[in-house]
Amino acid sequence: MSQSASLESDFPSSVDSPASILNTLPDISLPSKGCSPNTQQQIDLLLLALEALELGASEQMLAMAKQLGVNEIIKNRVGLWRLRCSNPWRRSYTRDYLSLNQAKALTIVAAYRAKDLMVIIRQLLLAEQQMREKNLPIDNHFRLSEYLERFRAHFRSRMNSRRAKVSAYLASEEQLNELALSLLSKLLFCTGARGMQRVWFSLFDGEVA
Amino acid sequence: MNTKRQYILPNCNLILEGLEDDDPQNVDILDGKPPMSILINAECHLLKSNQKLSGGRVFLANLSRAVSNYAQEFLSGLPQAVDNSVEYPKIAISPVADHNLLHRLTFEPESGSGETKIEVDLSTVELFDLIDAVDRFYLDRSTLPDMTLDLRSVSRRYRKPEQPLTERLTPVAVGFTSLAVAAGALFLIPPPKTAPPESAPVAPVIKTEPEAAPSPNGAPEAESTPDESN
Repeated sequence: MSQSASLESDFPSSVDSPASILNTLPDISLPSKGCSPNTQQQIDLLLLALEALELGASEQMLAMAKQLGVNEIIKNRVGLWRLRCSNPWRRSYTRDYLSLNQAKALTIVAAYRAKDLMVIIRQLLLAEQQMREKNLPIDNHFRLSEYLERFRAHFRSRMNSRRAKVSAYLASEEQLNELALSLLSKLLFCTGARGMQRVWFSLFDGEVA
Repeated sequence: MNTKRQYILPNCNLILEGLEDDDPQNVDILDGKPPMSILINAECHLLKSNQKLSGGRVFLANLSRAVSNYAQEFLSGLPQAVDNSVEYPKIAISPVADHNLLHRLTFEPESGSGETKIEVDLSTVELFDLIDAVDRFYLDRSTLPDMTLDLRSVSRRYRKPEQPLTERLTPVAVGFTSLAVAAGALFLIPPPKTAPPESAPVAPVIKTEPEAAPSPNGAPEAESTPDESN
């Protein structure tokens, strides 16, 4: 009995209640409607970068949501997709606002996935640095090129090209690569000891009173 | 009793030396370690550039504040409110202008202290390791538990508009300018001459007389005018 209890306590799923993991992120005073479109856009882009990093990322996100006990908020693939469609850049933008708990759940899942992928994130950022130091195009690095290509493909297929910002990104492959690399840096920051909190506060920079 | 706490990351080591608090009431109930309550020396080794920054409590506090603020600025792109009244040694981090992957850490000691100013360029991964070392120290409540580092979001007052002010003012300026030019151009056009209305020839007044009512005796009334009385 005590052995099984100690074994269970090694896993993140040993949270006391489904919402207790949400308490690791502090509450932010938001307007009554919910998070701002900018916050929602940032969260979705972080998840998009995770999808470019690994195949089957959405399944991994759902599994992580279940493991962390936030599967009441992120129930299934459709539920996850609907939450992500709160990003105003998306083709299928739902004009919904994320509640604080929904935003927390998505951020926590993104941060825990980033922690699992920390090694590859570090490798890619080091590769980027090396390519730039040698004045070589970053596409010449195989693994980095694969990440950028997948990110561009996901971005093209999901974002609404009639939006001015999106069309500017779609028009310039270089800008889209820069966006992908900046998101990779943010994912690296998610992996730190207080990285999740840092990213959480940064999502609301310029939004709070 | 002297104690040493080390936070070791691939590119950065943070080493704190200090004195333990011997009060048994303050012993950490989880690991049984007495907390380090007095800092003697703090060292930050940046391994790739082989630089060592060191100092006391003020150095550690300034390093933590600079690193934390820059991390938040890096993540959101919005500058954090900076307290300029910090003591020496001053520590600042800023992006390198012509290289978007490098971040310059500047260590500025008090003049006359014998130390030299140090500038180190950090890559994003090195910067992350430095931030993580600082964060691990603050999460370790058995090391200097009286030091805290709060995170908070930047107020919307400091939000940069999506379009810069010049871009937003351009349509207004163009509108006013074109209005002024149009007004000037119209001012040069002479106003059309207005001809005074010519005096029209006086039409002969036709005196219409009311029809004479028939008098009872059959004679017209005009016959009883004073002319006839002459």
